[in-house]
Amino acid sequence: MKYDDPQLRDKLAAEYVLGTLQGAARARFQSLMRYDVGLRSLVADWEGKLTPLARAGADVAPPARVWHALAQRLTGERRKPRWWESLALWRGLAATGAAFALVLAIVTGFAPEAEPPMSMVAVMNDTQGQPAMTVSWPSMQAMRERPHIRIKVTQEHPVMAPGTAWELWMLPRPGGNPVSLGLITTDVDQMMPLKPELAARIHSAWGIAMSVEPEGGSPTGKPTGPVVMKGLCVKL
Amino acid sequence: MSESSRDAQAAQLAGLLGQCALRNQRAFSELYALTAPKLFGVALRILRRQDWAEEVLQECYMSVWNHAGDYAVGKSAPLTWMTSIVRNRCLDWLRRPQQEATGDEYEIAVDAWRDEKPGPVEQLMAAGDAAALARCLELLEGRQRQSIMLAFFHGMSHSQVAGHMKEPLGTVKTWVRRGLERLKGCLQGAENS
Repeated sequence: MKYDDPQLRDKLAAEYVLGTLQGAARARFQSLMRYDVGLRSLVADWEGKLTPLARAGADVAPPARVWHALAQRLTGERRKPRWWESLALWRGLAATGAAFALVLAIVTGFAPEAEPPMSMVAVMNDTQGQPAMTVSWPSMQAMRERPHIRIKVTQEHPVMAPGTAWELWMLPRPGGNPVSLGLITTDVDQMMPLKPELAARIHSAWGIAMSVEPEGGSPTGKPTGPVVMKGLCVKL
Repeated sequence: MSESSRDAQAAQLAGLLGQCALRNQRAFSELYALTAPKLFGVALRILRRQDWAEEVLQECYMSVWNHAGDYAVGKSAPLTWMTSIVRNRCLDWLRRPQQEATGDEYEIAVDAWRDEKPGPVEQLMAAGDAAALARCLELLEGRQRQSIMLAFFHGMSHSQVAGHMKEPLGTVKTWVRRGLERLKGCLQGAENS
């Protein structure tokens, strides 16, 4: 069969979306679609035309067991033990030395002079292992005067969805419970004031992580959403 | 539903899909709550078996969770994208060997589309979801509309539609093809006017 006839292509796309293209023809069409952008857009066009029809009937609430099964599969995906208890995870991060050095140069090199020099930094990697953000803070002495941490977003990142917030966590020690540092913005460069009691503890922190939480931050005091960035704390 | 609230819903669903791409399970559960009744209805109508529809629905949401990052905002509405995933999965499911449904359920389906003005088309109008599509469907000849509806709504093949309408296969194929052509022409006319 020839697939370069525009009328035939449109007819095949329509029948594919309608569902009457079947068997070997359907399979062949699906494999053609993979490499044929034009064919995909014809299909998308027909889906836009016909799909509202699929929803013309009544809504039917699925039984609760469907959601339970899904929730179980999602939980199964999560690492066991929980992410902040897994040593291997953090060891893996320490291996990205070259990227670390590069980001380090950015952190130290561009810090405004008026600010005290940073004494510790956590280079946070995204889920693909790419450096995405740094969190750093000055010496204990400087922190007593003005307790704060500096956050630099070094990678293009997704826009925060409405109704969600990004929460920063400090990991006091391997396997310990995360302590919330607060909510951050999507700004590339920001400073976050710290509570004095947190400022005292952060110098012995082991790692920093960021999770996606509902608006206003985690309702439980522990991360509830996915952790999208994390990194080990290193003395400068 | 008004146009603006439909847009708001589409924006909300697109936002949730974006969060799913970031592995936000809370967003996923919200997305499920908002869309599962619609999509389960779609799957039930095609598969006509509760257990199959449940299984397919579960697979589809896993697929949405794993491929949420592939959703392209500009290319299609979120609900259209998700509905297409469900429809395609249902069609593939029905075409598995040994999974052809028996005839009894079809009889009911055929009756439902036999009227000159089938109920679901009126529902489509009432929902305001696709007024242009509903209007264009009404302009089709009765048998063109019936064969398209049977194929689309219930996942019937040409030969199944022919068997249940008690018409020759070639005739049904022609109705489907001409019906789709007229539908396209009508929808394009509606867009341009």
